[in-house]
Parts: sequence; structure tokens; C-alpha cells
Amino acid sequence: MSAKIAGTRIAGVVSARDSRHGLWFLPLLVGLIGGVALAATAADFATTQNLLNLAAQAAPLLLVSIGQMLVVLVRGLDLSVGSVISLSTAILSIDAPATVTIPAVFVMALAVGLVNGVAVTRFHVHPIIATLSVTGIAQGITMLVRPVAGGTIPPIVTVLVNGEFLGIYMPLIWVVVAILAGWKLIHGSRFGLHLFAIGGGDTADTFGIASRRNILLAYVACSTFAALAGMFLAGRIASGDPNIGTQYAVDSITAVALGGTQLAGGIGSLQGTVIGTLLLSMLANGMNLLNVSSFVQTAIKGLILLAVIAIQPRKTIGL
Amino acid sequence: MTAVPLVSMTSISKAFGSSLALRDVSFELLPGTVHALMGENGAGKSTLMKILAGVVRPDAGTILRNGVPVQMNSPREALDAGVSTVFQELSLLPNLTIAENMFLGREPLTPSGRIDNAAMARATRETLKQLDLDLDPGRLVGGLTIAERQFVEIARGITANADVVILDEPTAALNAADVEILNRHIRALKSQGKAIVYISHRMEEIFRLCDVVSVLKDGRNVATVPVASVSPQELIAMMVGRDIAELFPPRGDGAKSAVALSLDGIRLTADSPPVRLDVHQGEIVALAGLEGQGQRELIRSIIGQYQPVAGTVEVKGRRIALPIAPASGVRRMQALGVGFVPEDRKDEGLFLDLSVAHNIAIGLNSRHSALSIARRYRDIIQDAIKSMAIKVSRPSAPVGSLSGGNQQKALLGRYLALGSDILLVEEPTRGVDIGAKAEMYKLLRDFANRGGAVLVLSRETIELIGLCDRLYVVHGRSIVAEMPAAGASEHAILEAALQR
Repeated sequence: MSAKIAGTRIAGVVSARDSRHGLWFLPLLVGLIGGVALAATAADFATTQNLLNLAAQAAPLLLVSIGQMLVVLVRGLDLSVGSVISLSTAILSIDAPATVTIPAVFVMALAVGLVNGVAVTRFHVHPIIATLSVTGIAQGITMLVRPVAGGTIPPIVTVLVNGEFLGIYMPLIWVVVAILAGWKLIHGSRFGLHLFAIGGGDTADTFGIASRRNILLAYVACSTFAALAGMFLAGRIASGDPNIGTQYAVDSITAVALGGTQLAGGIGSLQGTVIGTLLLSMLANGMNLLNVSSFVQTAIKGLILLAVIAIQPRKTIGL
Repeated sequence: MTAVPLVSMTSISKAFGSSLALRDVSFELLPGTVHALMGENGAGKSTLMKILAGVVRPDAGTILRNGVPVQMNSPREALDAGVSTVFQELSLLPNLTIAENMFLGREPLTPSGRIDNAAMARATRETLKQLDLDLDPGRLVGGLTIAERQFVEIARGITANADVVILDEPTAALNAADVEILNRHIRALKSQGKAIVYISHRMEEIFRLCDVVSVLKDGRNVATVPVASVSPQELIAMMVGRDIAELFPPRGDGAKSAVALSLDGIRLTADSPPVRLDVHQGEIVALAGLEGQGQRELIRSIIGQYQPVAGTVEVKGRRIALPIAPASGVRRMQALGVGFVPEDRKDEGLFLDLSVAHNIAIGLNSRHSALSIARRYRDIIQDAIKSMAIKVSRPSAPVGSLSGGNQQKALLGRYLALGSDILLVEEPTRGVDIGAKAEMYKLLRDFANRGGAVLVLSRETIELIGLCDRLYVVHGRSIVAEMPAAGASEHAILEAALQR
């Protein structure tokens, strides 16, 4: 490929004029610059150990963000992901065999996704209200099951997220599998195309697409991804924690928006979500290295979400 | 002709609740014909076509496809049976590519379960080529022009290998050049032996394009005749059940009264000549001429929605220098008794989700300060609904649920209730059926007879000639002729526009 063709191709990607993938190129650029800047200022940033840490920090957020993106594509929003994460760790920390607790986590995720989806598609509850209500329910149950952090996690779970497999760091494998699964769902299947179609206009039904069923499935998939993130976190901390998921609703929405997915639906890409997640994780990692207080970090993340949404063009499909 | 009809619908009846939408209608489509379907809104055209397209199921009657009885239970089944429909509303999704839109809901898959983009692109390119369109199947539909979208929509119908294509007002969003392209495609389809159902309100298109016309009135098939054997007047008479001359109310007595509105020295662009025109009380004046010559800009200059280079407008003796600020123009003019009825009533005129009552009262309330209690003006609204014969179950029904003609009346009612005595009207009868057109003309004439002044523009020259007292012919952003409407003809107006 000649340099000129490559140049126009990149220009096309930057303007995103001929794609529904959103502005993912910009955050990539910001991420690269930020990465170089961090490597230059924080001495510990570019070490293998820290980069592996980064992967471990990013893995659960990536899982949640991919799920969140499915819902955002159909003009939804899932605020209940954080409570699903907390409840997952709580269920896993119950003193019961893994053959009971692990299936229980997924049954719980299925139930939460169904309640969210049914409320939104059948009862026309606004996604924010529907998932906010479910957040309250799930958080309440979490507190009943595990009022304070503690308990033990089945060994199988801790083994799956720590150490190495065939010489590869486990969290890295989770990241790769998450990306593959996300790619298949979003860009490699009819389901993904139909989600884009539903988010793009009100006429998807006239094409013979069952939009209500697809939206419902998006919520179920989102809860399932959140449950996987909960399992990952439970394995990492080797206990149950009723508050571990608190930040994940805001963080996942920030990551998705940061990656160029439009909250108005129908525009976005997996690469954008991956980039958004890595960017956000890198920011947290870098601020930790630079000893920024976690309270300030939370405030900065809120600021980023506000800024990203404010500059996001609303409903400029094809532009 | 001995050809077997592609479709033959016999004795179709359909009732919605207590109202009969179709009564014993029979309809036949022969291969290689363009079949116009005409009738007022509510005459049953769209119900008949929805039955053919599988959207609605008939209560009685049979449908034969190539002589074989069929059931159309869903749009998909109709498509599979080779009947494709391009509905009036564009339904393409802007964030998908042309190819994805063409195959959405029936995407081909590769053996590994992925969507076969290559196959979609190939098939799409082929279909587009049939329509002489050179569009990249990978382009997003959102980046296409309205006309291109309409063509893609039609192409989508053809991919299903349909030999019956229903086009519901396909030209509503197209300009003259695109209509010509569309006509060419329709003729190409026709030469391939397909049957096309063509629904349109535009007479000239019917006569240029169609072979056969069926007229529906009140759910009955009034006539099915070769287009060559009827005149436009006869067609309208069949649709309305009366003569076209009866559509228009009698003109005013022509006695000159005071000038209500006058424009002076308006130059729309830096190099266009100044324009001067007067509208007297009790007079309906038209801006006629070819489409897009500056009629719209002239009217919109008055209310600040277009910024001319120079000029003044005089309203009942008050001179105002142009341009007027766009933010306050409409309000300022409203205070002076000038009402503006925009062409696009859905986007610019009405609040579709609000009730009829609110839509009318909003003009009245706008006279008061923002914090004063909004009054209901129940009596005034009742009067307006009654005197204008707006067909609505109750004043609190959302205006979006009304038919086009009744929406237009509600919009007009806002300014009549406000006591406006000058009306600026764009396209008074756009998307309105013939019965409602006649009512709209009568309302405007009554308004003029009460001393009001009306400045109107329309794409339909016949309408302007029939409705107005005087015509200004606009061409090249300037007024090139003035003539009384009584003796005017389309020919004379065109001549005046082009003879310079």
C-alpha cells in the first residue's frame, strides 16, 4: 500500500465520515501521547510488572464496558453493573461448593438482565430508572449476603485469575478473551448489526428485526459481562466485598463514551471501547504512581465523563 | 390484452372498528404497466396497498398472484411473493451502509457464521447498476441525499426480485431533476414486464408516467380507466365527486382598499434587483413562478427567517427596515398582526405532541409575559374548532393525530384566533387531500373577505390561479411580472417568468 493511500485511509478513519464506528481514533492518539508522557514522568510506569498490573486493573473494566456498550448501542444505559459485580463477589464468598455458587452467579446475572430488559422493553421504563431501581435491589441483597468484606472464594476462581497459563499472565488471557467475545458479538454477528440498526432509528422493526427481543438480550449480555467481571475481582481479592462494584457504572459509561460510542445509540466500535477502557485504566494507574489521592481521582474521572459527553456530537450519524 | 394479471384483488373489504375503509374493491395489475392509484386521503388507497403488502389483512375478498390464490400475512410473506413496497416515510437506517440496509433482516452468512459483507456488496452493486446508480455499497445511508435514499429504498424493493412494486408518493421529497431520474427507472422496470403501483397527488406525474389509473373514493373503486382516455379535470371530478372549478371560492369584488403590507426595495442577494410589492386589505396575492426562484426567501425576509441585503417592509403604515433579527422577527410581526404559516407544518409550525387546544392557544398566550398564568381560552378554541370545521374528537387530542388537512387548519386557526389581519402562507395545501384543499381555500377567502390580506406561495400554479386575486411572477430573485389571477394561465406565468 502506497503512503498516499494509507494517508487518505487514515484521514477517512479520523473524520469517521464513512463509518459508524465513532471517533475512536482521537482517544487512541490521546492514549499514546499520555502513555509516552507517563513513561517519561513516572519512573515505574514502563516496567513489565506495572504493565501487567495495568492489564489486571483493566480486565474487569473492559468486561463491564463491553457489556455496557451493547446496551448503549440500543440507546440504553445500565447503571446496575456495579451492584451485579458486588453481588457476584458476595455470592462467591458464601460458604458453599463452587458447583453451587458459580452457577448461582450466572443465574443472578440472567435474572438482573431480564428484569432490566423487561422493564425497558415491555413496561417502557426509562433505562436509567429501570437499572437504578435494580441497583437498589441488588445492592440490598448484597448487604444481606455479605454486610462486610470477607469470606473465602472457591479455589477454582482464584486459580483462573491469578498466575500464569502456558506461560501467559492470566489477566492478559482474560483481556484477550473479552476482546474476542466482544468482537464476535458487536462486529461479527447479525446480533451486533441488529443492535446498530435498532440504535440507528425507529424503523428496524419494519425490516423484520425483533427489536424488543434484541434489546432484552443486550441487557442480559451486559449483566453477564458484569458477573464475569465480578468473578474476576473476587478471584483477585480472594474474598467477597459488598462495595467493590460501586465505581463500575460510572467508569464503564465513561470508558464507552471515551471510545467514541454515542450515548444516543447506533454509533460505536469495540476498538473504541477497548481504547477507552485502557485510557481510563492507564489514567488511574498513572495517578496512583504519581500519588494522586483516590478522592481526587474519582473527581477527575467525573470531569472526564462530563467533558467527553459535552463534546460528543449528538446524533451526527455518518459525520 | 390477454396477459394473466400479476395481481388480482377481488371484492376486498376491510373495516377498522365501525368505519369501512374498503368496500368490495377489485383491483388488477397487468405486467408491464404503471398503475396510478388516486383518491383523497382516507379514500382507502393506503389500506388497499397495505393489504397487498401484507401489513393489513382484509376482512373479505381474495388475492390472486399470477392466477393462484395467496395469503399475505406479513410484510415478509408479501416480499417473498414478489410484492415490494416503498412506503412514504423513509425507513432506511442512517448509520448502516447501503448494502446493510438492503439486506437487513435477511443478511447472508458465511459458513463461519459471520455476515457475508462481500456477497452483500456484490449483490447491492448489481442491483444499483440496474437502476443506473453508481453508489458505493459501503457508504453510510446517512451521507446520501434524500433522492439517493429514495432510490436505495426502491433498490431494496428490487433485490427481492419483486415483479410488483408499490411506490407510495415517491416524489414527495424529490426535486424536478430527481423526479425525472425516478421516472426513467420506473419506465425501465415497466419494460422488464413488472407492474408498478404509483400513488401520487401530482396530476402531471400521473399523466406523464402512468398507463392506467384507478380512482378510489370513500373505500370504493370509482373507476379504472386508461390514463389516455381522461383529463385531469375529469380525474379530480371522480375523486371529489365535483368539478375542479368548484374547489375555489369566488374571488373578491376587486375594489381597491388600503395597502396592508408592502415590501420596498428588497434585494435578496447583493446582485439581485430590488423588489417591490403591495398587498391590499381583502386581497389574496400570490408569488408565482418556477420553483426556487426566491418566492420563499421573499416571504421569509418579512419575518426575519431570511436575511436580505437591503429593503423595508411596511405593515399597515409602519415601516420596518430589513433585515430583521431572526430570533425576534416572528414575534415582532405577530405583535403587528402578521401571522406566518410555514410550509413544513410538522417541523416549523405545530407542536405535534401537544393538543389542538394548546396549539391554538399558544399564539394567544404568547401575547402575555412568560410568568403570567397560561389561560385556556376554552371558548375561543371551541369557536375556532367549530368555525374551521377541524375534525377532532376533543380539543385535548394531540395535533399529531390529526390528518394533514386538519393539522393545517389548526395551524391557521392559531393566527385567526389571535386576530391576525395579515397572513403569510407557504404551501397552504401541501400533503392535504382535495376535500381539505377546498376547505382551506374557503377559509383563506373568508379571511380576505373580512378585510384580511394574504400573501401566499405554492408549487401548484393552478392553485394560485384559482385561489388568488393577483399574481406576482418571481424569477431570478426578482419580480418580473404582475397580473390579475382571473385571466392568468400556467402558460402565461411561465412565459412571463422566462421572457426577459
